[in-house]
Amino acid sequence: MTLAVIFIPLIAAFVLLIINDRKLQAAIAFLAAIASFVVSLFLSSALPISRLWIPGFNSYFELNPAGAASVLVLVASLVMIPTVLYASKQIEKNTGNFLALLLFMQAGLNGIFLAKDLVLFYLFWEATLIPSLMMLGIWGRKNRRKAVVKYLIYAVGGSFFMLISILAIKPLAGAASYRFMDLYAVTPKLPVQTQIWLFLGFSAAFLVKQPIFPLHSWLISFNEENHHSGVADVMGTLYKVGAFGFFAWAMPLLPEGAKAVSPFLMVLAAFSAVYAIIAAISQTNLKRALAYASLSHMGIIGVGIFALNLIGSNGAVFLLAAQMLSTGGLFLITGMLYERRKSFDINEYGGIAKSAPMLAAFALFIIFTSIGVPGLANFPGEFMSLMGAFQSNVGATVIAALAVIGAGVFGVNLYQRIFQADETKPLIDLDRLELIVLIPILAGILWLGLAPNLELEKIEIQSRYINPISQTVESNNKAGDSQ
Amino acid sequence: MIALAAYAPLIALVGALINGIFGRNLKEPLPGYIASAAVFAAFVLSVMAFFGLQGQEHGSNVQLWQYLSAGNFKLNLAFNIDHLAVIMMMIITGVGFLIHIYSIAYMHNDSGFSRYFSFLNLFIASMLILVMADSFPLMFIGWEGVGVCSFLLIGFWYGIKANADAARKAFIVNRIGDFGFLLAMFLTYKVFGTLNIADMLGHIQVARVLPAGLTAIALLYLLAAMGKSAQMPLHVWLPDAMAGPTPVSALIHAATMVTAGVYLIARIAPLFAASPSASMVVAWVGLITAFVAAFIALSQTDIKRILAYSTLSQLGYMFVALGCGAYWVAIFHVFTHAFFKALLFLTSGSVIHAMGGEQDVEKMGGLHKYMKLTSITAFIGTLAIAGVPFLSGFFSKDAILAHAFTTTLAPVALNYIAYIILLVTAVMTAFYMMRWYYLVFLGKERLSKEAKAHVHESPSLMTMPLGVLAFLSVVAGYFGLPEFLAKNQFASWLENSIEVDISFGHPPVWLEWTLILISVAAAAIGLGLAYWVYSRKKSKAMLRISNSAIAKFSQSGAGFDGFYNAGIIKPAEETAEGLALLDAEVLDTGLSSLALGVGLFAGLMRKIQTGYIRFYALAMALGFAVLVILAAFWGKLS
Amino acid sequence: MIGTEYYIALSAIIFSIGTVGVLSRRSAIMVFLSIELMLNAANLAMVAFARAWASEGALAAMNGQAAVFIILAIAAAEVAVGLGILVAIFRYRETTELDLLSEMRL
Repeated sequence: MTLAVIFIPLIAAFVLLIINDRKLQAAIAFLAAIASFVVSLFLSSALPISRLWIPGFNSYFELNPAGAASVLVLVASLVMIPTVLYASKQIEKNTGNFLALLLFMQAGLNGIFLAKDLVLFYLFWEATLIPSLMMLGIWGRKNRRKAVVKYLIYAVGGSFFMLISILAIKPLAGAASYRFMDLYAVTPKLPVQTQIWLFLGFSAAFLVKQPIFPLHSWLISFNEENHHSGVADVMGTLYKVGAFGFFAWAMPLLPEGAKAVSPFLMVLAAFSAVYAIIAAISQTNLKRALAYASLSHMGIIGVGIFALNLIGSNGAVFLLAAQMLSTGGLFLITGMLYERRKSFDINEYGGIAKSAPMLAAFALFIIFTSIGVPGLANFPGEFMSLMGAFQSNVGATVIAALAVIGAGVFGVNLYQRIFQADETKPLIDLDRLELIVLIPILAGILWLGLAPNLELEKIEIQSRYINPISQTVESNNKAGDSQ
Repeated sequence: MIALAAYAPLIALVGALINGIFGRNLKEPLPGYIASAAVFAAFVLSVMAFFGLQGQEHGSNVQLWQYLSAGNFKLNLAFNIDHLAVIMMMIITGVGFLIHIYSIAYMHNDSGFSRYFSFLNLFIASMLILVMADSFPLMFIGWEGVGVCSFLLIGFWYGIKANADAARKAFIVNRIGDFGFLLAMFLTYKVFGTLNIADMLGHIQVARVLPAGLTAIALLYLLAAMGKSAQMPLHVWLPDAMAGPTPVSALIHAATMVTAGVYLIARIAPLFAASPSASMVVAWVGLITAFVAAFIALSQTDIKRILAYSTLSQLGYMFVALGCGAYWVAIFHVFTHAFFKALLFLTSGSVIHAMGGEQDVEKMGGLHKYMKLTSITAFIGTLAIAGVPFLSGFFSKDAILAHAFTTTLAPVALNYIAYIILLVTAVMTAFYMMRWYYLVFLGKERLSKEAKAHVHESPSLMTMPLGVLAFLSVVAGYFGLPEFLAKNQFASWLENSIEVDISFGHPPVWLEWTLILISVAAAAIGLGLAYWVYSRKKSKAMLRISNSAIAKFSQSGAGFDGFYNAGIIKPAEETAEGLALLDAEVLDTGLSSLALGVGLFAGLMRKIQTGYIRFYALAMALGFAVLVILAAFWGKLS
Repeated sequence: MIGTEYYIALSAIIFSIGTVGVLSRRSAIMVFLSIELMLNAANLAMVAFARAWASEGALAAMNGQAAVFIILAIAAAEVAVGLGILVAIFRYRETTELDLLSEMRL
């Protein structure tokens, strides 16, 4: 079952490359998305897989669905369904190839989440780069070349340092293999100085992919230049897995390094959250605005992760999953708006809630999710990220929490400028397909928003590996209680 | 029986969903009846809970489900239906029900009829969650929920930019308060290790926390309360919020939502009681708001804006009561204010309805003869808020004055200052309310032709709630008579929920009577003065006063909006634009030039790849030669 | 018996001739021949060493001889493929001048 979430999309992708009939392609892609979603529903009870893979340096093909992986795979697979559906309608040229890339991407992403061997993780990490680059490079908009180059340099540059860290960590620590558990047994005992350097190496890749100021400018042009349906942006949203890298690898393996470096990164993340949301407010290009807003989410995820306690890391990973729905949903809505008015300029819109009430309702719902209205998906994550951060650094958290005000300004401004006030030309409301596209997102948002604890408990299994630090924080709290 | 009340929010939510999803397919009055029925059911449940709580010391705790967890941190969602909550629930659902009924007629023929009732029900559900919550995060869910509903309802007629702007303003200003709420929760957890309200209060009573920590937490919760209850300087959204339909103003922006801040502080009263300095800040925020808002209300000309500033001023009174430690008094004023202010708003809604949308009091006058019922109920409301004896406002306001005079939370000198400010405010309150009533219902007719042709008494669906509310505005005060007259039902009821130990001075009975007489005199002076001023023809002296700088200052809302626009919003907008530019131009270009560097290097390396095989062969040969030489010198060729 | 050093010297001379040939000839055929020369120089060195180590036993002697056979086989295969490519290029471009073949396309 664990293998299935990787191989269903992978096999479907290859099938798509072979056949030519567009309808059949759409059907296969959709079925594959549904199938992998259904499988991922039961993922948390699936068995792990472990086979010796590259004997030369003891790397294993090890996948384990326990922990955060099952949550992230589940949400990503849920988002895939509307994405595939919408893509098969909106992509005009070479639809089959695009769908195949989407499915490749999904396979790779699931691999990133599930991999429990560092080399395998790196393989998936780099493998996902290819489909995302091709989506941008082939189906992107006018100035895509620059965006591709920028993205490539950032991604490869970051990965390079990570690769050095990966190559160094096993021999330095004298681990038996590249498997997580084998590394985890020895790497925390590395000398502090070594841990800091290794942690910095990992950080280079993860901060780029998260992204965090000042390594974010690839994201803005990436989103701006991607295909106007917003489908590729959704994949970009799923792909912001830097925080997961910290959470699953860098922090548990290098606790001392994390302890030394995190306070700085936390300040950076807090600044990033506020900086991005302020920049988002004044954007006139819809996609750029959303790119900045999601960057702000990443800042909040950052402060949660770098807080190095259970509350913070549970919340951050939860927010990572939740923002897949909210940001992804907003990009799909952007695509729907573009299809009708052929423009991403916010000033071209206005007052269209009158002619398109359903579109407006969905947009408002997802905007509210995105700005962290409680009861919806993003709030539990945002709340716990900030609360965790507050326990370790009050000043940075206050700064990051300012982004909450900023997000409010951004959200209602955006909604108002597009949907309210004086009506521009009327707009057609959602058709049935678009409704079907948006409903899974709506359901996911309500599910995560109302009963977050089911997922939080799964995440916590993995958060425990950052435990040595968490426990000290918690015991401090307990001491505070019983003074 | 008490626990059943936990279903109240669910019922309202179901009503909202039915109207939200199927509403457009339902014929007109039906969504209104569905929504009203849902709220009425919630009201019945609240009343049942009220009777169930008779004679009980503790409320009923209803566990819902586990919401968050991380290690030792566990957060269960649960309702705590206790004496304080049940009072609020009855206000919300009771007044809410009347306003739903009223709205069926008021929103008649509106294209968004079902949408309106859907939002209204959603609001009731959120507000109930807010008051029933037993932990801060659950309260925050309701807190933001009412904010969202307020946003949706203020901007209900979103086609007009001013309405949409007002909605946005309300949401953003409230977000500042939410920021305070969030930080307050974080600090609460850091200090107390819990987010459950009762647990936190329990920790205070055993007093293990430094006073500075308590004060910091209290001030952060105060910030939250100031946003929601529109206290200065975060009050600017409330006058603009009048852009929404009038029943909405009555329900959300007078009777219920804006009192959430008062409720929050009353709910965590022991925290404030343990921090006199925070209480002092609360009192001063209230005093300033009460005074300045009343001052602004003196000169407004929009029928609803006068009432909006009046609401601000009355909320200020409640904050003063909170700051004095008289928590039951604050809730008592919430209780009476809900009736007479909802009444006043609904009567002005009735007037606006009759006048075909006209809201300028300068273009009204003499409406009494056209709409007697509205006029009489409005007069009752006016008297009640002005503090005329034997009506509800008199008792609650007098209680606030008396407690401000006798509280031991503040130094004695401050008692007197607070008392005098409140007294002056009371005079102003009576004045602007009489002015409001006179300009609308009495005096010369200044109606436009269309309005005159249109004016009529409102349908009975609208006047019925007016009658009920007028009745309640008269009798509500008798639940909280001063101690020396009779046993105070209200205070002893709330003592079960609000466990604080603050002593008040016990002045002799003659002084109590004197205080009462002084407040009566204040009301009489204000009412009389206003009647005298507006019933006479405008004299030159009058004109001079109304053109004076101070009048202009009052009309402009004491300059808050201007200051915010010039001092905060503009610079903020410019910062945002500057930052966006900075990010796109400087940062991006800077980092892109790094990319350019990589490109240049690549170009250089490409030049080496000439494609001539002989060149490669030579390079190979030379490279081998170098290796051999290196090996010969440094290697160990044994 | 002629000393091993003479064979090695001859081998070095032939190898150098081959190297110079590879570096200086323009015709692909000549470069090919030069490479053959270098390979055979290596073969010569191998055989010479094999003979020098013969006293150490049959196995030691066989090692060098075996390597020679492998090299011969590879050279034959290489010539077959390489000449095939050259013929194809000649048909297409009507030249085997290496300097004219500096692009990675036909």
